[in-house]
Amino acid sequence: MRVLLSWLREFVDVQLTPEQLADALMLRGLEVRGLERWGSTWQTMVVGELLEVAPHPRADRLLLTKVRVGKEQVLEVVCGARNIAVGQRVPVALVGAVMLDGRKIERAEKMGVTSEGMLCSGAELDATDDGEGILILDSKAPIGMSMSDFLGEDVIDVDVKPNRGDLLSLLGLAREVGAITGAPVTYRARLLHESGEPVTSGLRLVVADAEAAPRVLLRVVDGVKVGAAPDAVQMRLKAAGLRSISNVVDATNYIMLELGKPTHVFDRAAVGSEIRIRTATSGERLTTLDHVERTLDVSDLVVADERGALALAGVMGGASSEVSGSTESVIIESAVFAPASIRRSAQRHGLRSEASHRFERGQELDLAPVAADQVAVLITAWAGGSVRKGQLDSDPKAIGVTRELAFRPARVRALIGVDISDTEQSTLLSGISIMSTPAKRAASVPVTRNRTVACEKGELLSAVIPPWRRDLELEADIAEEVARLYGYDRIPPTLPGRDLPGYQPQPTALRDRVRSYLAAAGLSEVVTHALVAESISERHAEPVGLVSGALALSEGAAVSEVLILSNPLSVDHDRLRRSLLPSLLDRAEANLRYGALSGALFEVGRGYGGGEAGPQEWTRLALVVWGNIDAAAPGAVTRIWALDEVKRAIASVAAIASVEPRYLPTQTGDSLLLHPGRAARIGGEGIAGLVGELHPAAPEWRDAPRILLAEFALRGLTSGVPAVQQVTLPPTTPPVQRDVALAAPANVLVGDLVGLAGECVTLAVSTELFDLFVAPGMAEGERSVGLRFTFQPAAATELDAQITAQLDTFTSTAATRYGTRVRGDEAQ
Amino acid sequence: MELAALEEQLRTLQTESLAKISAASSSAALEDLGSSLLGKRGVLTDLLRGIGSLSAQDRPKIGSLANEVRAAIEAALADRRATAGAAELTARIVAERVDATTPGPLPQLGSLHPIPETIAAIAQIMGSFGFTVSEGQEVEDDVTNFQLLNIPEDHPSRDLWDTLYLREPGRLLRTHTSPGQIRAMRAGQPPIRVILPGRCFRYEAVDASHGFEFHQVEGLLVDRGTTLADLKGILDELARGLFGPSARTRFRPGYYPFTEPSVAVDVSWGGSKDGWMTILGAGMVHPIVLENGGIDPETHQGFAFGLGVERIAMLRHGIPDLRAFLENDLRMLRGLR
Repeated sequence: MRVLLSWLREFVDVQLTPEQLADALMLRGLEVRGLERWGSTWQTMVVGELLEVAPHPRADRLLLTKVRVGKEQVLEVVCGARNIAVGQRVPVALVGAVMLDGRKIERAEKMGVTSEGMLCSGAELDATDDGEGILILDSKAPIGMSMSDFLGEDVIDVDVKPNRGDLLSLLGLAREVGAITGAPVTYRARLLHESGEPVTSGLRLVVADAEAAPRVLLRVVDGVKVGAAPDAVQMRLKAAGLRSISNVVDATNYIMLELGKPTHVFDRAAVGSEIRIRTATSGERLTTLDHVERTLDVSDLVVADERGALALAGVMGGASSEVSGSTESVIIESAVFAPASIRRSAQRHGLRSEASHRFERGQELDLAPVAADQVAVLITAWAGGSVRKGQLDSDPKAIGVTRELAFRPARVRALIGVDISDTEQSTLLSGISIMSTPAKRAASVPVTRNRTVACEKGELLSAVIPPWRRDLELEADIAEEVARLYGYDRIPPTLPGRDLPGYQPQPTALRDRVRSYLAAAGLSEVVTHALVAESISERHAEPVGLVSGALALSEGAAVSEVLILSNPLSVDHDRLRRSLLPSLLDRAEANLRYGALSGALFEVGRGYGGGEAGPQEWTRLALVVWGNIDAAAPGAVTRIWALDEVKRAIASVAAIASVEPRYLPTQTGDSLLLHPGRAARIGGEGIAGLVGELHPAAPEWRDAPRILLAEFALRGLTSGVPAVQQVTLPPTTPPVQRDVALAAPANVLVGDLVGLAGECVTLAVSTELFDLFVAPGMAEGERSVGLRFTFQPAAATELDAQITAQLDTFTSTAATRYGTRVRGDEAQ
Repeated sequence: MELAALEEQLRTLQTESLAKISAASSSAALEDLGSSLLGKRGVLTDLLRGIGSLSAQDRPKIGSLANEVRAAIEAALADRRATAGAAELTARIVAERVDATTPGPLPQLGSLHPIPETIAAIAQIMGSFGFTVSEGQEVEDDVTNFQLLNIPEDHPSRDLWDTLYLREPGRLLRTHTSPGQIRAMRAGQPPIRVILPGRCFRYEAVDASHGFEFHQVEGLLVDRGTTLADLKGILDELARGLFGPSARTRFRPGYYPFTEPSVAVDVSWGGSKDGWMTILGAGMVHPIVLENGGIDPETHQGFAFGLGVERIAMLRHGIPDLRAFLENDLRMLRGLR
């Protein structure tokens, strides 16, 4: 809410500068968005006194004026407006001034007379809406003073939190300022004069649902002349961020800013003999003031007459009963509506108005009659006319009540952690009109909305809550008031030194080691969007079932359904990704555009999907790499990212999780993103995923560098700490190595042979592929696969027979299963 | 063979050998010379084969002379080997010389992203006060994200969060990490000390300081007798941990439906250009929230805080635009190792 300091001073005597006031408000809980000098653009416009006004010698439509802008300084100014006269004080834009539209005032000849400035209209200053005549200033305006100093306003923009609807008014803010500064708060209601016919003649009020509208008041003002509001009023509303509409409508907004109570005015002539507050009928139509025809339903509350809806209650008036230039008589409606109902209507119709904003936050019952009276007074003051006798009031007994709220000062101390005495708490609360005294009898303390605690009178203070503090319901609410009035800055910091929870391992420990390893290995960590476009989402999704068993339980398993937003910001980000790879690829492409000929990216992030068990999330490590691994150096061989290099990185990462990856053939439908001839499933206990080269048809594809991708679940990524390894001290005997070379037919996969070796040769401490080549004389597609087994026998001859037996089992099984033969058996 | 002739041959061998040795220029030549003179098939051995034809009394004479000759040759060889070896080493050192002052090939260093790194920094600081990391779900429901946090439906406080909803009714993307408070309280028994980091989502237009995806870290402590003063103490330490020992905090009243009293915290430190920067919101856990978490607000109280990771990372690294975090330009990332 934009608060004019000059206006606020009519309610509370603040002597502080705007900056001091803003600081004081901040420290006591009112967030200040900013300070502004409204009219600061008027530095080069000054107050001038018209000394002469004469017809222009050569132009009928122009006047020639002499205007004094300083003791000795008189300017000759040509003026096109007709509303000026000698002796008036007016704003003068001096030569050099820049107007709002960017126009620069220059010494200019106008039909043979040199004009040394410009007299300004209210519209030219954006002070009022009047663009016809010159803005006539107060007759005591100091000549030569800059307009910025004379008419400018200090404006504090206060961010009023949703629980403090009472602060959406100058009166409410004045109370708060008074509590902070100790200055007295005064509100003087303007005196109302009634005359003529009683309001009841020809008008009835019916409130169909008192719960939706606890109090409604109507007043009628006859004989108004609708026109512009006085300049000073227009300026105040503009400075406060509201548009000036007309003298009648401005009266309602003026009172809304003063009291926080929205009211509405109807053209009497457009209303029948009855004002009825009721729920709309389904399909009922209403054209609102913004000239949009709206279809209502039964949860909308309307102000209607016997013929139909006139306004969407608390949200916006209707076009048919809008006050216009021909309006002679108006009905003022001042009501209190149920907040939730107004909020729902405003949201459904996408109509958030200053009025609905306030109604949503609740209204003070007592202000309904006050606002009706005050609006009536201002209308007669600004638009003439007379206020009919009396008012229509749906429920005069619906008045604001003060509530008693019992609280335990000891609990307040225990919550804040500072020894603030009962008396001091009472004193602090009295500053915001909450009077508290030791309770005279035992009472219940409201701890939550469902829970009260019965307490003896000795431990209680009983607080009387003023009607405007609807937000104070519970004991904790009182504690907050005491704390903020005491001052958070005065609370000494302490460290909580009570029971510590038992030791818990940080679940991120393993992940952090993986991340550090990858960074050290030359990869850069990225964080990419979880919300992606359909085109990205469809490029790749983790195959359902790829991650299963214990790994799926710890790291999550992909499910098939895509989670789509119902209210996306844009189609580019309207659904949750099921794989990290397309997002990473998108970033790789961006970096290629930025000229990164080589790059290596990784992300530990989530995939999302829906299934029978509801939404699921899973955590994966994904990487996208291309180009050179190392920076080039003279004489050094530069390694290039290739499938084997990616596998090297995967193996290192897997080792951190005590996992050994194996590579299996991909299956139909695994990925559209991967090169079908250069991709594999990653398998093994504790790891599952896909690795491969980017499909050559992919748009990012260049002949070089090749782009490689991997995404996998790894045991412990979300919950793991690195395993503590058990070690057997090696014997003094050296390890034994046995090599086996197999000639494998074309369709045999090395991964299968390695897998079989692992099953058969269980005595080996490691198995490595040391050779893979095509030897001269081999059959078409046949390859020589060299496997090196390392054994660590404790004595030189130990196990020798067993080793040989296991190797034989391996070679013979391979021969029968895959058709391999041991190389060296044949004559070479 | 005559004794005298053999003696003469041995002496001649000595003289000629010493001359050859002093003329030899390399270790390799000396090695060859040594074996050709003294080796198993060398000249000396060859000569001594004639000893068999000598008389028993002459043999010792020739034996001792042969030893003299051998000793003299060996001494000359050793002497010459030392000289030649030193010269060769010098020559090798000169020959093998390279320019060792070249910068050397640079490793392509990787880097860690500032968002997870900032979360890790917070986890480390809070870990020293007994707080453990717990990562919750990002797809939430209206009940946990709002209602259990004392944000009823149709309440204006909902305006504080612009929400992205899934098509399935009641499902949404969490707007803050605070629903994790409810889950943490329901999962455990006090004393509870957890931090809940993670990704959050809001219906928000993107600019230099806003994004529709961002990260928060929630902190929650529930115990007997926890106070607002304790919250100040912990957050002072967190601020110093994040911004250095010169960091100062300013606590002022704030508003969050799930804390009461609520606090807004500003920080100022040596590197902050603009004085006080708001970094987090906090407060004492609202009794309604405790109750919804299954904790008796009459016996236990706690504090909670939530901070924006992007904002902290921007302040710590001097990154002026929040969009840079999701842009992932390697030129920036590699500067952050």
